[in-house]
Amino acid sequence: MTDMKRRLSNRSKLRQNAAAWMIMAPSIALFAFFIWVPLLQSVVMSLFETTNITLDKFVGFANYADIFQNPLFGKALVNTLMYTFWSLVIGFLTPIFMALVISEAPRWRGFFRTAAYLPNILPALAAVLLWSAFFSGEESGAINSILALFGAEPTSFLDKSWLVIPLIVLISTWKGAGATALIYMAGLSGINPELYDAAAIDGAGVFRRLRHITLPSIFNLGSTLMILQIIAIFQILYEPMVLTHGGPDNSTLSLMLLMWRYITGGDMDYGKASATGVLIALILLGFTVIYNILNKRKSDSV
Amino acid sequence: MKTRIRLFSVAIALCMLITACSSGAPEGGNSSGNGDPTQPSSQTQNPVEKTPTPTPAPTQENPGEVIDAELTAEVSFGNYPPDTAPELELDTFDRWLEILVTQYPNVTPIPDYYSYTLDTYTPRAVGGTAPTIFQPPFTDPQLLISQKLVGDVTDALEEYGLLEKFSPAFVDLLSDENGRIFGMPRDTYVLGLHLNLDLFREAGLMNEDGTPQYPKTLQELAEKGKIIKEKTGKAGLVFPASETFGGWLWTNIAWNFGAVGENALERQIDGRWVVNLTSEPAVAALEYIKSLKWEYDILNADATTTTWASAHTVLGVGEAAMNFAANDSVSNPTATAGLPVESFALVPFPGVEGKDAYALSGGTAYMFAPDVTTDEAVACLALLRIAGLLPFANAEIEAGMRADAASRRDRGVPVILPIPMWNDPEFLALQKAITEEYTNVDQRLYADYFDSMNNGTISLKGEEPVYSQQLYRDVTAAIERVIANEDSDPAALLGMVEANFQKFLDSNVNN
Amino acid sequence: MNIGGYNGRRRKYVRGQYTGVIREFDAKTPGVRAMQIFIYVLCGIIALICIFPIIWVFLAGFKDLREFMSSTSILPRSFDFSRYVYTWERLRIYNNYLNSLYVVAVSVISALIFNGLMAYGLAILKPKGYKVLNALVMLSMLIPSTISIVPLFVNIQHLDMGGFFLPLWLAAGANTFFVVLFRQFFESFPKSIIEASRIDGCSSLQIFSKIILPLSKPICVVVAIYAINGAWSDFLLPYLVLNGTKFETVMVRLYTYSTQQTATADNMMRSVVFSMIPPIILFFIFQKKLTTNIITSGIKE
Repeated sequence: MTDMKRRLSNRSKLRQNAAAWMIMAPSIALFAFFIWVPLLQSVVMSLFETTNITLDKFVGFANYADIFQNPLFGKALVNTLMYTFWSLVIGFLTPIFMALVISEAPRWRGFFRTAAYLPNILPALAAVLLWSAFFSGEESGAINSILALFGAEPTSFLDKSWLVIPLIVLISTWKGAGATALIYMAGLSGINPELYDAAAIDGAGVFRRLRHITLPSIFNLGSTLMILQIIAIFQILYEPMVLTHGGPDNSTLSLMLLMWRYITGGDMDYGKASATGVLIALILLGFTVIYNILNKRKSDSV
Repeated sequence: MKTRIRLFSVAIALCMLITACSSGAPEGGNSSGNGDPTQPSSQTQNPVEKTPTPTPAPTQENPGEVIDAELTAEVSFGNYPPDTAPELELDTFDRWLEILVTQYPNVTPIPDYYSYTLDTYTPRAVGGTAPTIFQPPFTDPQLLISQKLVGDVTDALEEYGLLEKFSPAFVDLLSDENGRIFGMPRDTYVLGLHLNLDLFREAGLMNEDGTPQYPKTLQELAEKGKIIKEKTGKAGLVFPASETFGGWLWTNIAWNFGAVGENALERQIDGRWVVNLTSEPAVAALEYIKSLKWEYDILNADATTTTWASAHTVLGVGEAAMNFAANDSVSNPTATAGLPVESFALVPFPGVEGKDAYALSGGTAYMFAPDVTTDEAVACLALLRIAGLLPFANAEIEAGMRADAASRRDRGVPVILPIPMWNDPEFLALQKAITEEYTNVDQRLYADYFDSMNNGTISLKGEEPVYSQQLYRDVTAAIERVIANEDSDPAALLGMVEANFQKFLDSNVNN
Repeated sequence: MNIGGYNGRRRKYVRGQYTGVIREFDAKTPGVRAMQIFIYVLCGIIALICIFPIIWVFLAGFKDLREFMSSTSILPRSFDFSRYVYTWERLRIYNNYLNSLYVVAVSVISALIFNGLMAYGLAILKPKGYKVLNALVMLSMLIPSTISIVPLFVNIQHLDMGGFFLPLWLAAGANTFFVVLFRQFFESFPKSIIEASRIDGCSSLQIFSKIILPLSKPICVVVAIYAINGAWSDFLLPYLVLNGTKFETVMVRLYTYSTQQTATADNMMRSVVFSMIPPIILFFIFQKKLTTNIITSGIKE
């Protein structure tokens, strides 16, 4: 009796499973077509010598070896790490700061929040084109005309190797920080106000409360957002492509732009382009693994 | 008159021999300037078909008239004027299409807005959506041919009687090792100097007869640029140092400092391509660009992000007085950016005292989709004939040329002579006559530019033979560095570029 | 990717409510008062930095080419709308607007259906082997889609889908981020409701349409807004698929125009403005939803 029941439920389970897979089948087909299969294809391609996109000859890791020999790869890797560094300095702290400040405004908070979020909805390409006019070194450039109000001479911004990466990070921060700040604000609003009141009764001033209550409570959120940000900035492409074309002197060349150049830079080398892409993906996977290990260790120790 | 044009054609032919294999052809060695392009190569399978040039003309009574009028084909024409194009240009193109369909009732023309770029073309060619005819620059045909991304049109050209008029110079550029031909030249350019005469006037650099006191040498360019900067506050020179443009212009400057012959930037020694960027003239050229920024301070503000297109705008709106540019882009500063034609001049590329002067020359080709049939190719050629772009001196082509000249005049584009590409004196004479009839500019503002090519004061020179785009990109990075950094060392920078580029050549060509 | 557990909690706030570190009683001490004024100043600066570039580009659109390249004034010489009209007509942007509209409309539906069903399977049905699928979906979040754009495009061409909107519509149906949003929301459903309806004899699809969907309106709105904005702003795939056809979207047009040799900076700025207007309108309509609802889903794009 119980045996039969189990068999029955097994069968209905089977049917349910089949139905579930059927329901997901169209979506799975789309994911396969748009994401997984092309991804595999590019991994395969990275091991081949290519004539445009047809595979000529299996060459093993020769494409990878070639890339490592390309002096621009080292440069692009260092640049990408610089992007990451600046994005942690500027892009990571700015939204926290914005969230803290806006959360402390008793009035007009809705307005400030709306204003901060606005750049986020603009198309990325439009934002970059806008800022390229902003940073124009002509005296008619927006920043220069503002500086001129204070009597400053016009300066060029985009030809200074040491300045361009921070500038590009500023642009992406301008666009993205508002949205991130909103997430932090959600986190902040989850803090029980009574904690502050209790701390205040114990004589803790505003800054001590900030340090001991506010910041710890958004720590986890911050670490997750940080890894997401690293993943995003590692794939930076449009900004250097449109704004500086990777210059001056390749000082804004990112790994993604290097990959793009393998495709468009005159030798149409899809094998090496794919290999570069695979390397980027591997580095990102590495980051995520490290993050997960650290996270686990931390939660274990708690 | 005729001899002059013929001489000129020979000059172009010679220069094109050097351009011939252009960038990116790994087998560049065997096709680059080492002799007779009609010489069969050893792998040739069918020696009869492969000799394109001096074969006797296919017997055809009236070259350049409608042939095969009953052929059936569906053809997509790339570079259909975009929506943004002036209406006149759109109308002109539409009229050509109309004529085509009346002459070829079974041909279906499909206008395609696509304009060729290397990155977008590959997926199209592979996926079968490439336009039947499109226009790549001279740097790409060899790459496209070696990657099998373009179609063979030898038979169609022969049927049209064009093979006999093909300048030998273009054969190497547009054929494979078997001598099959994959395209034809569309236009050529020769680098010179664009001038904004409003700024020259403001700086007091105009003669009483209305001609500019333009710089004849690079040294003068720096000095006159400084005068302009001091008198007008605007940049003396706009220099597009981004992407590949800077390196492209730098090669011309380097040649004029003497980076030719012994000191050539790229040379084949015992079958091995050797790059030499650290010769005294090559370094001098980069030192020169550096001095324009740090000694004379005459460059536009954003040189390191200026592109070829924006450089023309900067000149056109009067933010800079000079721009290294060619005869094929005179419409950009004028019709596009709003500089009146009478405030614009085109003068020869400045040389260096005591050295031979060169001007970089290149162009664009017509090429065809990989799966093109002879019928389709003939239909494409028919449209070009209707547009007056084929070298036949007949009434229909004359009408096409007139319409084109009138359209340029009405749009405020300087009407000047094109640089000839075909071996057909009659056709060239017709071109000259029509240009003179429709011109809207003072020819004296262009005379020196054209004369310098004809009287030998300047020699035309094609781009460096192998992987020129790569070379330009690498050198551009060095240029950006010297513009960005006063303490940079041009010789050391070029040394680094040289080492890297040599490594690149060794793994891509020399193996 | 769940970031903390900040889902679903909405708070109303009253004007002048003290919710942060500074408490109402603090505000009475002069030092904190001064700090508050300072905070308002900072907030003002933040708002200004965020909004000013957008206002600037609108103003710059009123300048002609020469003025744009030479004038140091932020304000244009005159507010001449005919310049915007000129660019609008000259570049025939209305065509691109229509194209973008088609792309956006169908993409939204596709994004809701396909990602919703995928998440339903992963979060509620959980058939045997779903963990593998889940891992695959999450993996694709880490890997830049750009690296596989070339094979993808060739596959599209081989299936003869190039040159039309279809690939873009379908691509919206394979979005990891949307799946995650849906899944998180679905996971908060009490199991008992679903089990109860199963006992009532509902099939899996019926459960989705009768129970899940009606309860999922908030998340559908959020995904729809993201999908609209995403479809409008997307560039790389539309560029490869539609470039050179009469179906070019606004973003494709913007880029191709910026690389055209006849492009001028003034038309460029006005095109940028045109590409921004629909998202900005959308933003102001859904402003409340965007700034309150989306944060509660606790995920950054």
